Amino acid sequence: MEATERVLFESGVRHATETTDGAALDSALDDLGWRDALEADRPAAVSVLFESQGATTTTSAALDRLLATALGADAVGAGVAGVAVVLPALRRSDVPGRLDGDWCVVEGLGSAALDRSDTALVVAGTPDGAATFAVDLGLLTRRPVLGLDPALGLFEVMGEFETAWAAQPRAADWPAALALGQLALGHELVGAGRTMLELARTHALERVQFGRPIASFQAIGHRLAESLVALEAADALLDATWDDPSPVTAAMAKAFAGRSTRAVARHCQQVLAGIGFTTEHPLHRSIRRTIVLDQLLGAGSVLTRTLGAEILSSATLPAAFPL
Amino acid sequence: MELDEFKLAVDVWLDAHAGELAHSFEGIGTLDEQMAQLGKVRRLTYDAGFMRMGWPERVGGLGGSNLLRAYLGEVLTARDIVEPGIYSLPEVLAPTMIDYAPQALAAEMVPRLLRGEEIWCQGFSEPGTGSNLASLACRATRDGDTWRIDGQKVWTSLAQYAQRCVLLTRTGTTESAHKGITALFIDMDSPGITVRPIETMHGAQEFCEVFFDGVVVPLDRVLGQMDHGWSIAMDLLPYERSTALWHRASYLQRRLEQLVAAAPAGSLDPVAVGQATELLWSFRARSRATQRRLAAGETLGAETSIDKVLVATAEQAVFDLVAEGLGTDVVLGDDPVSQRWRAEFLYSRAATIYGGSAEIQRNIIARRLLDLGADR
Repeated sequence: MEATERVLFESGVRHATETTDGAALDSALDDLGWRDALEADRPAAVSVLFESQGATTTTSAALDRLLATALGADAVGAGVAGVAVVLPALRRSDVPGRLDGDWCVVEGLGSAALDRSDTALVVAGTPDGAATFAVDLGLLTRRPVLGLDPALGLFEVMGEFETAWAAQPRAADWPAALALGQLALGHELVGAGRTMLELARTHALERVQFGRPIASFQAIGHRLAESLVALEAADALLDATWDDPSPVTAAMAKAFAGRSTRAVARHCQQVLAGIGFTTEHPLHRSIRRTIVLDQLLGAGSVLTRTLGAEILSSATLPAAFPL
Repeated sequence: MELDEFKLAVDVWLDAHAGELAHSFEGIGTLDEQMAQLGKVRRLTYDAGFMRMGWPERVGGLGGSNLLRAYLGEVLTARDIVEPGIYSLPEVLAPTMIDYAPQALAAEMVPRLLRGEEIWCQGFSEPGTGSNLASLACRATRDGDTWRIDGQKVWTSLAQYAQRCVLLTRTGTTESAHKGITALFIDMDSPGITVRPIETMHGAQEFCEVFFDGVVVPLDRVLGQMDHGWSIAMDLLPYERSTALWHRASYLQRRLEQLVAAAPAGSLDPVAVGQATELLWSFRARSRATQRRLAAGETLGAETSIDKVLVATAEQAVFDLVAEGLGTDVVLGDDPVSQRWRAEFLYSRAATIYGGSAEIQRNIIARRLLDLGADR
């Protein structure tokens, strides 16, 4: 994307996430040509939208569309537009489907877009890797999740279907699709973190104690500085990972974004103190979103432990992006 | 020359001259040995043309982007040919000379630095002037056609080896703070200069006290304008947090790699290893973006304090792991390899202190990047 084109795209997307949510946001993104942008400049399309979505704690079908594109939804006759993708169970990053003879057993999560779809894509492990099945959503049961972040509109998805009922499955590159999803969630986390930091910063400048704004106390300033460092570091790692996203580097970037943004949540909640602990202030929405996103498509703590274990067993570090 | 072409040329040349470039000492060596090695490597890389790449032609360079310098330092560090701390000093001092010295002086002096004929030091900190740099007191007084310098500096790296010094002096009243500071370019063999190396916890004498007693300096050795030295210091500090930090990332990556290869099974916690690696990779990502902004002609500023916080945090995380995974070597080992791990572990403790403390970096971020107002 050219610089001016990107600025326009960015302000369009930001405006859409600030003024619409859910199905209306999907339509707004269609009008903005987000899916064309996804084809033309995937890093820009993903980073701009998901950061905005995180900043505004909105939801859309964008994660489903991103994963559906990567899993070849068109090839299984589903069409990317109206399809929902069954996500791994909470904290997990492996495929949500398990083949058992002629049946596929499903246990996973669905995004808010599940309610707006007829067809679900289910990825299941096969002897040679994984395959994508397109199935009628009516074959699966779903439970709307309120939980920690009701506004996220998650579903628990369960059930089993006979594989013959699904359209001809297609070999799926689950690690590649997962990597894209993890990068998207990483940007969404950074967006949530930027909003928390801005809320805390505004509060620190306005809140007066001991006759001066609390922003003038080093204890406050250092927490906010720490938050900015964490967000810029996470953002830089995500951006660099787009050079050549691999399962290892994308998991790292996602885990680091989760850990960084959770640190931001801790600092900002402390700075916002009493008012930030009420539902009269918006901070709680971003905190809820942060905690849940950190545990979708692989919990950050699990991804980090896996990375460390892999480094120790192979005695080598992951590939480092070149200058 | 483009970066990819440069990388290839450097790599081929380093392979061909590996034996000649390698250091002969075991472990970390003495500071004298390290300095001799540094001089040798500078001369060889200068003669081969690589050290001149990325520097302007008017100071003996061959032009090209700063990315070339970033890569040369990265690869020399990755191959353990130079120690990045002492190697990277010109990244701070040469740009200052290029931007602020009279042109003839810069053209005469900078090539000596790049070729390894000279070492330069940076006289900023004083006994009473640590984080509050604007309070410095080392005085420069006009005395006819010369300056006369009286005062003291401390933490001056490599002063005992240095032929020149970029010195911040007080030329205004004591109360003039940042408005009355002048930067001078001093010959370290001037009468009246006494250098006393300080032995640090990690066993080197890298830092020195420098005493100035009626030192005479020609008037034309002013860098920039009289009483405007503060802006030079402010322009210089972001350089200290850019290319030099990219070189340091390369060093930390090599040491982490060597650690995971050498640590006994079960000695390291996978979570801690994963976290340190993520942190180091995020620092590399940040520092690379900074190199690219510099190459695109952007002026670096307060945002480089983020790079500095990250490098210090990553360095301490890596060496916290060293103290775990190679604890026996660090604590009990007296062989050269263990001594080196120990010295580097100890040196990492200072990463949040030197070059602007962790607290000062956070003050800069709070005040300048988050616009939180003056801190108290």
